[in-house]
Amino acid sequence: MNQFITVIATIVLAPIVGGLLFGIDRRITARLQGRFGPPIMQPFYDFFKLLGKESIAVSKMQFVWIYSYLVLMIASLVCLVLQSDFLVLVFLLGFAGVSLVLGGFSTKSPYSHFGANRELLQILAYEPVLLLLAIGIYAQNGTFMVSTILSRQEPLLLSLWPLFIAVLYVLTIKMRKSPFDLATSHHAHQEIVKGITTEYSGSYLALYHLAEWYEIVLVLGVIVLFWANPIWIGLLIAFAAFLLELVVDNITARMTARWMVRLSWSVGLILGIINIAYLYIMKGVF
Amino acid sequence: MTDGMMAIAILLPVVAGFLILVIRNYFARGVVVVLTASVLIANSILFASKGPITYTPPAGFDWGTLITVLDYAILITYLVLGLKLRNRLVLIFAATQIIPLAYFEFVMKAHVEVKPAFVVDYLAVVMTLVICVIGSLICIYAIRYMRDHEEHAHLDKSRQSRFLFWLVLFLGAMNGLVFANNLVWLYFFWEVTTLCCFMLISHDKTQIALQNAARALWMNATGGTAFILAIIYLYTTQGGSSALSVQNIIGGGIHSAVMLVPVALLCYTGCTKAAQMPFQSWLLGAMVAPTPVSALLHSSTMVKAGVYLVIRLAPAYAGTYLSTAIAIVGGFTFLGTSALAISQTTGKRVLAYSTIANLGLIMACAGINTPLSIAAAILLIIFHAISKGLLFLCAGTIEHQIWSREIEDMEGLAAKAPLVTLITAVGMLSMFLPPFGMLLGKWIALEAAYKVPLAAIFFVLASALTMVFWTKWLGRLLQVMPKLGWPLEKLSPSYAVPLWTLFIGIFVIGFGIAPIYQDFIASATSNVIPGNNIIASGWASIVLAGSSTGQPAAAIQGSFPLWALYLVLGIALFLPMLFYGLKPTQLRPVYLCGEQTGGTDTDEWLAEADIKTKFILGGYYFQGTVGEKALNPWVNTVAIFLLAIMIGCGVISK
Repeated sequence: MNQFITVIATIVLAPIVGGLLFGIDRRITARLQGRFGPPIMQPFYDFFKLLGKESIAVSKMQFVWIYSYLVLMIASLVCLVLQSDFLVLVFLLGFAGVSLVLGGFSTKSPYSHFGANRELLQILAYEPVLLLLAIGIYAQNGTFMVSTILSRQEPLLLSLWPLFIAVLYVLTIKMRKSPFDLATSHHAHQEIVKGITTEYSGSYLALYHLAEWYEIVLVLGVIVLFWANPIWIGLLIAFAAFLLELVVDNITARMTARWMVRLSWSVGLILGIINIAYLYIMKGVF
Repeated sequence: MTDGMMAIAILLPVVAGFLILVIRNYFARGVVVVLTASVLIANSILFASKGPITYTPPAGFDWGTLITVLDYAILITYLVLGLKLRNRLVLIFAATQIIPLAYFEFVMKAHVEVKPAFVVDYLAVVMTLVICVIGSLICIYAIRYMRDHEEHAHLDKSRQSRFLFWLVLFLGAMNGLVFANNLVWLYFFWEVTTLCCFMLISHDKTQIALQNAARALWMNATGGTAFILAIIYLYTTQGGSSALSVQNIIGGGIHSAVMLVPVALLCYTGCTKAAQMPFQSWLLGAMVAPTPVSALLHSSTMVKAGVYLVIRLAPAYAGTYLSTAIAIVGGFTFLGTSALAISQTTGKRVLAYSTIANLGLIMACAGINTPLSIAAAILLIIFHAISKGLLFLCAGTIEHQIWSREIEDMEGLAAKAPLVTLITAVGMLSMFLPPFGMLLGKWIALEAAYKVPLAAIFFVLASALTMVFWTKWLGRLLQVMPKLGWPLEKLSPSYAVPLWTLFIGIFVIGFGIAPIYQDFIASATSNVIPGNNIIASGWASIVLAGSSTGQPAAAIQGSFPLWALYLVLGIALFLPMLFYGLKPTQLRPVYLCGEQTGGTDTDEWLAEADIKTKFILGGYYFQGTVGEKALNPWVNTVAIFLLAIMIGCGVISK
């Protein structure tokens, strides 16, 4: 019963937090760009306005995939709050990503295809980092369960700081921020139409935004795990990481997908591999 | 009872094969195939219900001599084929088998008698279920497929009988292979599968088919050579037949210091048959054959024999450097072939690379050699057989609808053949996403990989690459124009029965895997390695018990909530597919900067000078980065190097 309440609370509260974070994002970004910016509540106004629009579509499967993107993202977040297996969480997140990509591919639209192909490369860039993080957590805790991370007194950040840096990459990719805002961007000046979301409108686009809100809560939640005791430090770190992303977003421009994959597969993986190798040597597994 | 079951498993396919060979009538032949398939399936279920048995054929007939004679017959066939095809490599590796074998028989005057001759434990039962159930479904599929295939090729004289003969014979040889305890008999069945494989690949008799079949033959013959050498080594160093009993080799009945050399040789043999890098080219070449061959080779037979041998021998090399080396060889194959799969433009070649990748994963699991990883290996064998068998049958059905194997030609298949696309899509999703069985296996593998960190890193990278090539292909299939109400296509029962059976199998076995594991697969795992830290709690989830890495005692290491994940899948995909409908008035054409020419049913736009032009979309293949030309020299060099280290580990460990 307790778990049930947790799940319901997550499903209700996460989008509120996510929407507010996006509101803060828009406000701060505007200030950084010398504009006044919209009210913090603007993402919610946009969301309800979109819901009220006439629903038009270019295929049925488009709806199926964007809806499954949302459901799987929620499932992944539920996995986190129920303190379940971290690997299962990563796999569900991967499935969510695949759903979004297939949504993009399910129409014969050049812009949507551009975005879908790039989103796929984004998955290729972040998925190994998250899986390496899982192995790093295992090397440290001897289990993949999130519950053990939360009950552990010594924070993960101290032993897994190289992986933390790599996860910051993932945060940039998942928040669709420059230089990795390839599939679709929040900034108009560097976008090919609207990337993977080009063909979504009205309530379907609202679903996409809702999923994005869950997504940011999930990824920041993963960052909180790096300092789970006391949890307020983890929350502060996550918020600081969020603010850092906003700065990075505004001082860089979109790079190519190839560059992103190369960077993540070289720097990100080297950080992860060194980190894990160090932990293994320290634990005397070799 | 046991007599009958063994005879049905091994000899019935031979008898039925010859019957099929002489029947010239399409329907009569079909009936024989269907009957044989049904009996084989029933028989394999009987094996499962009966549990482990040992068996030695009754005295009175000298089976040993018969097998020796047939051994020579097969090897002489290789020589003849080598001469006929003028292929030097086939000749050389036929000779390297026939000379040591003759030496073994005539110079050493070896007399091999192993009792029991056959040991059917739970691992063998799992294998025979995979072989008989999935293999038989593929044979049923082949009945109609080969007729369509020949109609399309406009052959004067039907060769369907010959094809089905080798196909059915293959199942018998595989059953013998997984049951055999006598290493010399195991070698015989091993060579029969190699021969069947050659005959099936070369079936179309085109230049390219013959060439690729010859490559499959010589590569597998190098494995056969290593097999013979291992037999001679065991026999001479241990002096006697008892050294040639598989149960003795893995049961520690032989002094282990000299054991690793033959075991390493046998693992090499397993690598050739399982098409591990650098031998992947024979399995890729096998793609020229009619699709039932690919389905059979990839799902239930041939390559699975390779991984079976390596898993079977796992106790013999547990805790050695050889074990670690096998984990790394397998892990590297998983990584290398997953990358190469991204660059492939032909559907069947993507499937082939994915097979090799998953075999690499299974091989690596055997090398990691813990109860957890062996369980992962066995689960992966089962689920891979179902999903890959289904996918190849889908590829064949698609080929017979659009007469092409190219991914780009499959663009928008969802509109042309919605049923096949649905089955294919589910088959693809079941290869790499939760909650399906393949991912369950991969999950256990990742949780077990801590013991060989390098293999763990290979797994991580390869999993990400796997997602890319499946999603990319799936995206091409599902791209459709804004239209509603696609008419469903008709499938002949010979296609539909295997397709739907495997489709349902994915869900039934995937959903019920927790009790199946508990009652059955756990026993197969403990046939290989004692100990079990997988706990299935009812139907709900699979939980891994805490490990022993010297960490603060963790209650559980990981948990895979099956029931919840299937619920999520149902809510996420099946609910909207079934209950969500669009009205025709809600459809719009896609955005083309206002340059589209008309309504929702056209993909034309106004190009330069307002000329109506159809617009074309293509997939990404990254040939420059992960293409065969760019990657092969590197990965093959590393693979040869790793393989040499693997065999070296066997030699130096003593």
